[in-house]
Formats: sequence, structure tokens, C-alpha cells
Amino acid sequence: MSPFDEYLHTIIMEGGVEAQRDGSATVEAQHLLLAVAAQEGTAPQRVLAAAGLDHEAVQAALDREFDHSLSTVGVSRGSFGLSRPSTTLKRLPTMGATGKLALERGFASVPRKKDLRPAHVLLGILQAEAGTVPRALALAGVDRTDLLTRVPNTITNDDNE
Amino acid sequence: MPASDIPVPQDPADALAAVVALRRLADQLEDAAVEQAMRAGWSWPQVAEALGVTRQAVHRKHAKRLIAAGVKLRRRSP
Repeated sequence: MSPFDEYLHTIIMEGGVEAQRDGSATVEAQHLLLAVAAQEGTAPQRVLAAAGLDHEAVQAALDREFDHSLSTVGVSRGSFGLSRPSTTLKRLPTMGATGKLALERGFASVPRKKDLRPAHVLLGILQAEAGTVPRALALAGVDRTDLLTRVPNTITNDDNE
Repeated sequence: MPASDIPVPQDPADALAAVVALRRLADQLEDAAVEQAMRAGWSWPQVAEALGVTRQAVHRKHAKRLIAAGVKLRRRSP
């Protein structure tokens, strides 16, 4: 397995864990982003951290987006007061539409598969202009387009690691 | 609340995001509510009827998780 394949495998598996924790039956782009932010010592994790987005900050941004989106239709999570459901051993999540799209965009950014680097996964996630991830980043005050321009710089550096 | 009273966000992005968020909240609510009902001694057929789905559907979706969480499940309705 190439280093990229290993990285991708980790992101997909960890994305599945994030989805399970979230009570989601599918792995979406935000779960992949959480997984990317959690891989200490990798180039994409450093790009996110430099923008103030460690795993905790990404989670906080996603929670904020969730609450904000509910509030636009007058709904508040807190008003239900239900206990947190047990999330163990639910069926293993499958790749969802936004997760798939993020990976496809990442793969499409290189002409040959062997040119793929970990940062291309983040590139694919950040390319979405609509949906939960760009909304969460905007609410957190993160300039997504600026972040997008920073990612390719790390790809050349990545080659030397 | 009548449909006309449901606030519809002016921005389409907000309106679409609200749909996603409400679906997610409904899923979380279902997980919590089914667990709460089963802990309170409800049977699968009762929970299924209350949710408006088949017994098989609710069992398939929640049984594994609840067994793993140590919830005592009733086999028959009273």
C-alpha cells in the first residue's frame, strides 16, 4: 500500500468513526474533515491547524453550523432536552453523497493516481461551495478560498517528507 | 402550527441547510426517543406503530445499538 493509500484508508475509517459518533448512517464531508484534522503530523492537518482549525475547533464550527441552521427555522436543539442516545455498535456507516463528492474532487485534481498526496483529500473537501462544511467554516470566520490556495503549496513540500 | 407560520429563511442556502439540520435532529431524536421508550418497557410493535413504521424497520435500525447499550428488550407486547 502506498503512503497515500494508507492515509486515505485512515481518513475513511476515522471518518466512519466520526459519523458513528455523530449518529449518522453515512460518512459525509464534515466527517472526513474531522478525520483530516485529527491526523497529527500530516501536511493537511498542519494547514488546518495554521488556520486555527484543530479537531476541536472543527467540531465546534460544525456544532455552530447545526445550531445556526436550526435557528433559521425557529428550532433549538436545547429545547428537546433528550438524553444523548447510545451510539455503540450501530451499523458501519457507508460513504455518503458529500463524502463521495469530496473524495472524487480530490482525486480529479491530479492527472495520475500516483500523484495523489494527503493534501488532495483536504483540497477535495474544501472545494465544496455549498453544504455543511463551507457554512461551518464561514461561521467560524475561516476564509475557505484562502485556505484552498494554501493547500497546493503543501503538496510540493509533502513530496519531501 | 399551520404551514404558513413556519418561518422560511430568505436565503436559499439557509433554507436548504435548515432541511439538512432538521433531518439530522430528527434522526438524533429518533435514536434517543426509541431508547427512552425501550428503557421504559415499550415493545417493538408499540414503538413501530408510534413511529408509523414496520416492526422490522425499527428493529433493524435500533436493536443492535440498544442491545449493546444494555437495554432490556421486551419480546412481546402486553
